Formats: sequence, structure tokens, C-alpha cells
Amino acid sequence: MSPLLEVRGLVKQFGSLRALDGVDLDVAAGSLTALIGPNGAGKSTAFACIAGAAKPTAGSVRFRGTEIAGMAYHRVAALGIGRTYQIVQTFADMTALEATTTGALLRRPHLRDAVAYAEEILAFVGLADKRYRLGRALTIADKKRLEVARALATEPQLLLLDEVMAGLTPAECGAAVELLRRILARGVTVLMVEHVMEVLMPIAQHVVVIAAGKTIFSGTAAGAVRDVDVIDAYLGSPLEHGAIATGTP
Amino acid sequence: MRAHLIALGAIVVVVAAAVFGLRSAVALDLLFTLLLYAVLGQSWNWISGYGGNISFGHAIFFGCGAYASALCVTHGLSPWLAIPAGALVAALLAIVTGFPTLALRGHYFSIATIAVAALVDAFVRTTPWLGKATGFELPIAPGWATMQFPQKGTYVALALILFAAVQLATMALERSRMGYYLRALRANHAAAAAVGIDERRVKLVAFAWSATMAAVAGVLYAQYTLFVDPPSTIALAISIDIALIGVVGGIGTLWGPAVGALVYVVLAKAVALQLGGAGKGYDLVIYGAIICLIAALRPYGIVGTIVDALRRRRGAEAAA
Repeated sequence: MSPLLEVRGLVKQFGSLRALDGVDLDVAAGSLTALIGPNGAGKSTAFACIAGAAKPTAGSVRFRGTEIAGMAYHRVAALGIGRTYQIVQTFADMTALEATTTGALLRRPHLRDAVAYAEEILAFVGLADKRYRLGRALTIADKKRLEVARALATEPQLLLLDEVMAGLTPAECGAAVELLRRILARGVTVLMVEHVMEVLMPIAQHVVVIAAGKTIFSGTAAGAVRDVDVIDAYLGSPLEHGAIATGTP
Repeated sequence: MRAHLIALGAIVVVVAAAVFGLRSAVALDLLFTLLLYAVLGQSWNWISGYGGNISFGHAIFFGCGAYASALCVTHGLSPWLAIPAGALVAALLAIVTGFPTLALRGHYFSIATIAVAALVDAFVRTTPWLGKATGFELPIAPGWATMQFPQKGTYVALALILFAAVQLATMALERSRMGYYLRALRANHAAAAAVGIDERRVKLVAFAWSATMAAVAGVLYAQYTLFVDPPSTIALAISIDIALIGVVGGIGTLWGPAVGALVYVVLAKAVALQLGGAGKGYDLVIYGAIICLIAALRPYGIVGTIVDALRRRRGAEAAA
């Protein structure tokens, strides 16, 4: 079976800077795949190119067998790719319910249906009691939850999560992991960028490591921490292994 | 929703009663102006309030209706025909000018609307079949077929019907996919695209409807004054009045434009009555001061502030 998402030779050039220089990655349907790499490796740029927010200079992005590289942003979403942002992008003057309803309206044109589904999704992510709060009045952790709710409300087959754990307290991280497991249980495939290795290790079935815009490793999480190239580029030598536990790149 | 319908019903009843009860031509004239400005403010509110693309050229759509009316009458056609014709021309003008400009961010769109309005103004002033700078004086011929009425009250009634229709349409907008999409685009266009919103499509449709409403108001205005020329219909000053009404009342709110129009009309008249001819321009000074205060203290306008307070109470109740 071909993977849900298949990225080959992705290149993104910003002027003289080559942010992506041949990224390959596969995401199997139903899996959780983690995209990791040092700061500036091009993880967010790769996300932007997959989601349609940026047009890749070269390469191919196939989603469910359809070529989507360079396709308009909103059309990629309509095809079934949802995303969150590394820096939260809230609909500041909409309530949590309104923002989630906006996502739900993609597949449910009638407001009544969309609101009902949004209520369900907000309960699912644990924001039901804050549904009348304005986006701008939520805490960072809740804003991130709301972004997940908004994306889930579009009923994506593939959800791109860009550092949803960053800036969260350990307790909030634990809750986020629990939410992640439930999202996977819904049958949504997840591709996530994450720095906190200890969070990723137990839940990621597949890890892709990029450095300097290139894929340098693709395999299991256990394999990644033993891979010489990955250790060199990202994790640090065994002597500095503490870096893995603290999550500092 | 029910509260809004009741409020609208109450306004319709009160104004209708006033139409029958009032004999004062000045009062009826005020009422007509108020309703007309409320409609224009709401029309502006669709694209600029809900959609967040601040237009400073909205009077050109008003002008489409007024000129359609003048052209129909001078060519021996009924001005009722000007309603669909003016609306169609306005919607097309909105689509043609909106296609390249609606994707511009922030003040760039506003600048583009000023440029388009200036072009339209220059075009009208130099085009013989549009009456050039002198415009049109419409012949007096009372009757329903000619949309001319001996009683001012009839015009007020027509303006009231238009106002009610526009308010109902806006209530529907607020409860529709397009309404949600416009607000999402205003809040964050990238995040909006990420949930599948086609910005250009949504905004072009909203802009076309916005232009349509302004054009219908233009037809009514032309039949009321029986005089159409550039300064009274398409001038930048009119566009700015429309935008100010929208901002003062509260952008992106159902009742904002009506409240803005009320403040505007009452203020203009009060100053004129108090100071007479010597007060010329003072209303603008006071109005300008109010705009500054609102911009500084309450950027969501009068109604926006009330809505915010209500929502906070609702949120507090939900949390309790």
C-alpha cells in the first residue's frame, strides 16, 4: 500500500538561501510520524510546503496519490490536510466555539450541523467549558488546543502539528500526549514537528530527521537515537546524552 | 436572533407610525437620511466590517444606483428598472475592481479603493452621456411608475423597507458560512486558508452583495432628490461618511451601522440647529473628535463594545 503522504526531493529556495534541499518523507495512513531536526533545519518550511502555505521550488508532494505541491492553500485543506502553527494563529475576536465552527463549516455547510460538530470536537479536546471565551482570552495551552480543535473540525485525514508541546508545562505536555493518542484513535494520521524527544519516543511509530534541509534519517525512534548521522547533527554525542532528556537541541 | 428580530420589528413599527403621524417635512427628511445612511453603512459593513477590507470608495456603488436611475428616467424608462440594472453594474464593478485588490492587506486595499473611486469620479465628470460634472435633473412626474411621490412619507416607507431587508440579510449573513468565513479572514487570513477558506471567492461574493445594497439605496436617493451629480453621489466625501458611520457604530456588528448613522445624523442636525449658518463645519469637528475617541478607546465601536460586554457576561455565566 502506498503511503498517505509521500514527499520526494522537496526543495525550497528563498533568494540565495536553500531552506530545503531534498527532503524525502513518507507518512503511513493511521501512523504518527515525527519530523525532527535542529533549529533551522527546515522543519517548518517543509510543513508549509506540504500544507500549501508555501510553494516548493522543486520536488513532489503526493497526498492520497494526488500531486499537491504548489496547490492553493485552501484547496489542500479541502483535500483533507489540517494543520496547526508553531506560533499560534488564533481567530482573536471569535469565541472558541465560533472558531471551531469555522473549521467544521468546510464539510458541513449548514450552520446548525457545523455548530453541533464543533461542540463535539471542543468536548473532545477538553475546551467545552471555555467555548464562549474569545480566542484572545485563552491561555497558550488552550490556544494550542483550540488550534487542534479548529483543524480537527475540518475532518482531516492528515493532521500536521507544528510544535504543539512547545512552551507547555510538564502537566500540560502530559495532557497533550493523551490528546494525541485519542486523535490517533479517531483514525486521523498525524505528522508532527517536535523538539521534546522524551515525549516523542514512546508514541512515534516513525521518525524522520532532517538537517540543513535534507533528510538524513528515516526509521524508528529507537533507531534514530542510535544513528551516527542523527547524533552528529542533532542529538549530540553520547557524552552529551543529557541533551536528549532535557529536550534541548 | 429572536432579540434582533424583535428590535427590528419595533423599529419598523415606530418608524411606520412616524410616517403616518409626522407632518414635519424636516423630520421626515431626517428620518429618510437616517435610514439611507444606515443602509449604506451596513452595505459597507459587509466587506469592511465583517470582511475587514476597509473601503474608502464605497460611494461609487451608491453612485451606480443613482446614475442608473437618472439614465433610466432620461431615456424614458421606469426608475424601477434602475434597481436591477444599477445593482448589476455595481456588482460587476465590485467584482472587476475587487479581483485584483481584495487580496491586498491592510491599508493597501483602502488606498486602492480611493484610487478606483477617483478614477470613476473622473470618468463620470468627463463622459457626456453620464452628464459630465453637471449631472442630471430629473423631470417631475409623480406616480408609482415613475417612483415619485408627493408625500415624503412614502420615500421614508420605501427606505424603511430597504433598511429592514438589509438588516434581515445581515442577520442571515451572521448565521451563514459566508459570515463566519468573512470574520475568520478578517481575523487571520492564513489560518482561514488552513481550514479551507477560499479568500478571493468569499470576499468577491461579499463585495458584490455589498455593492448591490449600496446601489439600491442610490436609486431611492436619486428618486428622492431628483438630482444626481458627482458631488452628491460618488464623491470621496460621501465614501468617507459611509466608512465613518460604519466605524463609529461598530465594525462587523448587526446594529453598528444604524447606531453610527443615528449619531451622525443627530450630531449634524443638532449642531446645525444650535449654531445655525455660523456653525458650518462644527459638526465635522465634533464628529472628528468622536472618531478619535472611539479609535483610541473603543476600536470596536459603540455596538462592538456592548456586544463584548454581553459576551463576557455570558462567558461568566457559562463558567459559573
